[in-house]
Amino acid sequence: MRRLPVYLLLDTSGSMSGEPIEAVKNGVQVMISLLRQNPQAIETAFLSVITFDSVAQQIIPLTDLASFQMVDIRATGTTALGEALKLVSTKIDTEVAKTTTEQKGDWKPLVFIMTDGIPTDDWQSGVAEFKKRKTSFTVACAAGSGADTSILKQITNDVVSLDNADSASIAKFFQWVTASIGVSSTKVEDGGKEISGINELPPPPAELNIVV
Amino acid sequence: MKKRLESYITKILANENISFSDKNKIVLEDFVADEDNISSMQIIIGQQEELKTRIMSKLRIFEIQNQHIQIPNATFGKEYNVKLDFVKLGLNDIVLTEFEGLEDKNLIYDNETETISGVPNQSGDFKIKFKYRIKGELDDSKLNEKILSFIINANPKDLWKDLPSDQQDKYWKENNVFTFEKLGYKNIAVASKRGRSHANVGSFRDDDFSFKHFDQTGWSVVAVSDGAGSAKYSRKGSELACAKVINYFENELTSELSTKFDTLISSYHQELNNGNTAVLNNVDKSEEADFKDENDVEVLEVKEEKVSIQSEISKFIYSNLGACAKAVYNCLEEFSIKNEFSIKDLHSTLIFSLFKKYDFGYVVLSFGVGDCPIGILNKDFTEFKLMNWLDVGDFGGGTRFITMPEIFVSDKFSTRFGFKIIDDFSYLILMTDGIYDAKFVVEANLEKLEKWNEFLADLGGHNDDKIKVDFEKRSIETAESLSKWMDFWSPGNHDDRTLALIY
Repeated sequence: MRRLPVYLLLDTSGSMSGEPIEAVKNGVQVMISLLRQNPQAIETAFLSVITFDSVAQQIIPLTDLASFQMVDIRATGTTALGEALKLVSTKIDTEVAKTTTEQKGDWKPLVFIMTDGIPTDDWQSGVAEFKKRKTSFTVACAAGSGADTSILKQITNDVVSLDNADSASIAKFFQWVTASIGVSSTKVEDGGKEISGINELPPPPAELNIVV
Repeated sequence: MKKRLESYITKILANENISFSDKNKIVLEDFVADEDNISSMQIIIGQQEELKTRIMSKLRIFEIQNQHIQIPNATFGKEYNVKLDFVKLGLNDIVLTEFEGLEDKNLIYDNETETISGVPNQSGDFKIKFKYRIKGELDDSKLNEKILSFIINANPKDLWKDLPSDQQDKYWKENNVFTFEKLGYKNIAVASKRGRSHANVGSFRDDDFSFKHFDQTGWSVVAVSDGAGSAKYSRKGSELACAKVINYFENELTSELSTKFDTLISSYHQELNNGNTAVLNNVDKSEEADFKDENDVEVLEVKEEKVSIQSEISKFIYSNLGACAKAVYNCLEEFSIKNEFSIKDLHSTLIFSLFKKYDFGYVVLSFGVGDCPIGILNKDFTEFKLMNWLDVGDFGGGTRFITMPEIFVSDKFSTRFGFKIIDDFSYLILMTDGIYDAKFVVEANLEKLEKWNEFLADLGGHNDDKIKVDFEKRSIETAESLSKWMDFWSPGNHDDRTLALIY
């Protein structure tokens, strides 16, 4: 079966502690429960969570929605975004199956990045590595005024921003991510076409500004 | 022992600000030696140990209460049998466990084997009570309680809706169709069914098919097309494409042209018998007709002077089937222009096959663009041929459509044709990817005889639902049973399904 891999790259640096990190955890939980009700998503979407603070780690490997269980995350340390981009690149290499004569490959992965700060590591080399991978689309979200959208713009053309990293705004972001995964899974099952950019996704809510 | 008691009592007394010097140390020594005092101290030590044990338990329980524990998710209606690995959870000091809140979901917990089992009879995100006792707690102590989340997924089959499609739509078509007819000396059973992904949102079936037998020339033609899910009016595209194939051969495959081919094929067969000619697989590329000029598809650019029978046949196939493909493109382009939308909105794959019975056997010709296969099996199921190659791409989704002008100018165009002479065939099969993806999974399997035989066995009732296509009926009931068979469940494969079986 062709899976639709989804990678969530979540900033868990110290500045996310308190309300933002709780909102992120809650956002993922709600997202999973909703996607489980979507017949296409529950069959095709596979989700992985990569967190980045002083280090990047894949806290949940690519897992089908039916068995997915969110783990506890805590906010601490700095913002190793570059390392997270390198990590997701190697995970795409090892976890996403390519089409060969003997197997049907997975769909191109969807990547969602959320950060509230400026990377503290060598992010350029991470971007260079990540750019070598094919994704269906990559959306980077700058949560609050502390994030630098011009850096995110170098990772992907599809950048959105939230004015505040409060729980209401973060919840809206995850609602939109949920809808986007839903639409993507429908699209691949319904005639085998992948989504190629943000313009094919559901319109983002008012809280989400598209960064041009 | 004496030393230990002495140091112990010294500490206790020091707490009470009573200390000893070298002068009165003898009093302490006598005190510690006294039997009554020894037993008092032993009681104190025992009590202290017990207090320590109790507070350790409390601390441990506090830790467990704050630990993230989740048991594996279940699925409604699907057997669940999970042995809880308390050691792996870091709970090796747990001595007794119970669960509350499982029974009403038709699950039971066996604390001997530490296993939860049963077939869940509801779905949702639940809270269940985990009760436990840890090492060090009294045997009659009340069990500790921790609330755990427990997820029971809905049965994916129940999540699909079956919404009607809009009959008022200008390009509306039936959701499910099936038909049976005699096709020359053969029969055709064909069914086309709207996929669950379309039923779920009340959209249309995008697949289509058509077939016809021409009495005058003895040729039969069958076409199958899959409208691209992403193209707005592809349901119309597939319909027009299939209809145009029939219409084209109806008009163009004249008795005269057919006779020309009959002569060619007879000579070719003669040569084959004499062992002079290698088996012709794909159309010989050196004999390319040029379809690059859209306005004049009839122009042939024969690149080699030498004209063998084999290349004459190649040329015939290329120019006639190729011209049909181009005619389909032109028809779709014209339709899109007339209706003022892009031809891309009609994106559809297309496969078609022509066959005719000769005294030496059947001649089968084919054309294909996209990812729908055409297969043919001999009478005793020992040989088969995949008539076309599939347009599939890296990471999936890389198919080609008859609506793409670039396919006609590609070097690959000449390889899109198939040709086969066969004594007789058991089945000639055309299918859309809704069938192929689920039943063959990958292209490589289409090259394997055993996979085709498995596929036929599946049609014969070797499947989970024990549904059999009743080929022997040779009536509409055959097609009806085929339509029922096409309801098979395959996770991730809910596209439209079309299957044409000529037998």
